[in-house]
Amino acid sequence: MGYLAELVVRGVLLGAVYALLALPMSLTFVTVGSIDFALGAYAVLAAAVGSTVGGLAGIAAGLGAALAAAVAMAAIFAGLKRAGVEEPITISLASFGLAVAIGSLILSIWGTRAFMLHSFDDVWVMLGIRISPQSLINFAIGMLLLALVYLLLYRTGLGRMMRAAAINPLGAELSGIPVTTLQTGTFISGGLLGGIAGLLILFSAGLDFTAGLSLTLSCFGAAILLGAHGPIRAFLGGILMGVVEALSSGLASGAVSAIVPLVVIMIVLALGAVGGVRFAGDRP
Amino acid sequence: MTYWRARSNTLVLLACATLAGAVAARDPAWLDIAIAIVINALVALSVGLTFGQAGILSAAQGSFAAIGAYTTAILTVRLGWSPWLALPVAIALPAGLGHGLARLVTRLAPLAVALATLTLSAIIEIVLRSWDNLTGGYVGLAGIPSVFAGQPIAFYGLAVGMLALAVLAYENLMLSRFGRGLTTIRGDRARAIADGIAVPGLLSAAFALAAAMAGAGGWLYAHYFSYLSPGSLGTELSISVLLMMVVGGARHILGPVAGAVILGVLAQLLPAQEVQGLFYGGALIVILLVARNGLLGLVRREGTL
Repeated sequence: MGYLAELVVRGVLLGAVYALLALPMSLTFVTVGSIDFALGAYAVLAAAVGSTVGGLAGIAAGLGAALAAAVAMAAIFAGLKRAGVEEPITISLASFGLAVAIGSLILSIWGTRAFMLHSFDDVWVMLGIRISPQSLINFAIGMLLLALVYLLLYRTGLGRMMRAAAINPLGAELSGIPVTTLQTGTFISGGLLGGIAGLLILFSAGLDFTAGLSLTLSCFGAAILLGAHGPIRAFLGGILMGVVEALSSGLASGAVSAIVPLVVIMIVLALGAVGGVRFAGDRP
Repeated sequence: MTYWRARSNTLVLLACATLAGAVAARDPAWLDIAIAIVINALVALSVGLTFGQAGILSAAQGSFAAIGAYTTAILTVRLGWSPWLALPVAIALPAGLGHGLARLVTRLAPLAVALATLTLSAIIEIVLRSWDNLTGGYVGLAGIPSVFAGQPIAFYGLAVGMLALAVLAYENLMLSRFGRGLTTIRGDRARAIADGIAVPGLLSAAFALAAAMAGAGGWLYAHYFSYLSPGSLGTELSISVLLMMVVGGARHILGPVAGAVILGVLAQLLPAQEVQGLFYGGALIVILLVARNGLLGLVRREGTL
């Protein structure tokens, strides 16, 4: 029982990072109706740059790199929009291309080595459960950013415009809301949140150049697990995803533990979590 | 005569491939590249069929190729089958799996389908890596019997023949009522349902045909390179062929083939293997921004296949 509790706690703390990535994923999903496949790549890029520069400057440089990549994605999105592309799948495809390009860039600069930094050497024991202080920091930062995103969306004028653009783009456009600008901003916020998540992973479990796509997949699973309705569900989905991963890696052996989270995503997809008419490419 | 006039893509492909083969035969290194390009083209054609016609963005075609390759490798190396006997199995198994997957997901939104295929390919890769006593795990399977050993030009002919057959099947599909059904589904799914088209069934059939093509590509790969590891096909190939399809033009039957040729030739000019993704990803984005219908879309009229 104690082991199980430890796994759950570890999963919740691990899930905070997924939750952090699930936030921008659900924001993009709702405001643009598309998916930014490069989210995981922003995280890896931030970790790579952050670990190379090191220290506080490294954190700033890592965030800057992730932001720059997200600005590139936002520019691609704006360019596609100007060229008259409306299908979400084409925008996803372009972000896929960016993810591949960033992964290749990281591989050619840093090679196949893993990025990892240690912030704390000691482990705290609470109620018989071993917890690394870093994972508590991750959780706290995750909660803080969730609160900020929530306040932004539901307590500010900007948030009201974002929600309007998400629910009815045409109506919002006609009411004078700059929908495309808001959507572009959403892509950029993905770089910021993705970069923070990447840096937190850098200081906890570490990652390498291949992590981008699997991170995207995990946090997408997190974003849809409880339905893509607002930041709180996305965040809780991330926590749940972390718990699923921690439980399967603690209770099952290598291959099975890696497959279980993927099977969960498959089941959620098959149950129609993304099947809303808005995303089905049907008539508006 | 009218039969072939409506199927000009197959003829164009055969003419170009014969010409390319005649040039490439002068140098073994070129022939090696040409064979790799034809194998890629076959997998790219499968992704062209799923995305360009059925509107399903599949990130699993490389994994279907891997299944085809592993099937034939296991049957020939472990059970001693003849490669020719293994060919139908290497085609049927991915087709069956593709059909099952499609039945599960085609009623969903395109984005959900894309993610489901990506998830499936991640699962397949883990299985290939960890099922040691069947797939050889990380080490892979070596000593797969070659087909036409020592006669690369004959193997090139075989690969081109299979590619041409796939293009012909694709063309026949598009000329049939099923192909027109696919076009309707892509344009307006509600209309297709109202017209009485069995949308999930038709999409699943198209997906299965595409998976069969990818499986055939995997069979060619296994019996040409004689060695397989989890990294040889799979996710990386899935991504490459997606990019090839976009660069060539997803809506045109020969688009993915053209993309495979262009990227395959240009990749030879790259300084290192590591920057290939940078080049491929960049090419994809530039093409999407500048010529959304791909390079073939620039030279062919809108609406022609």
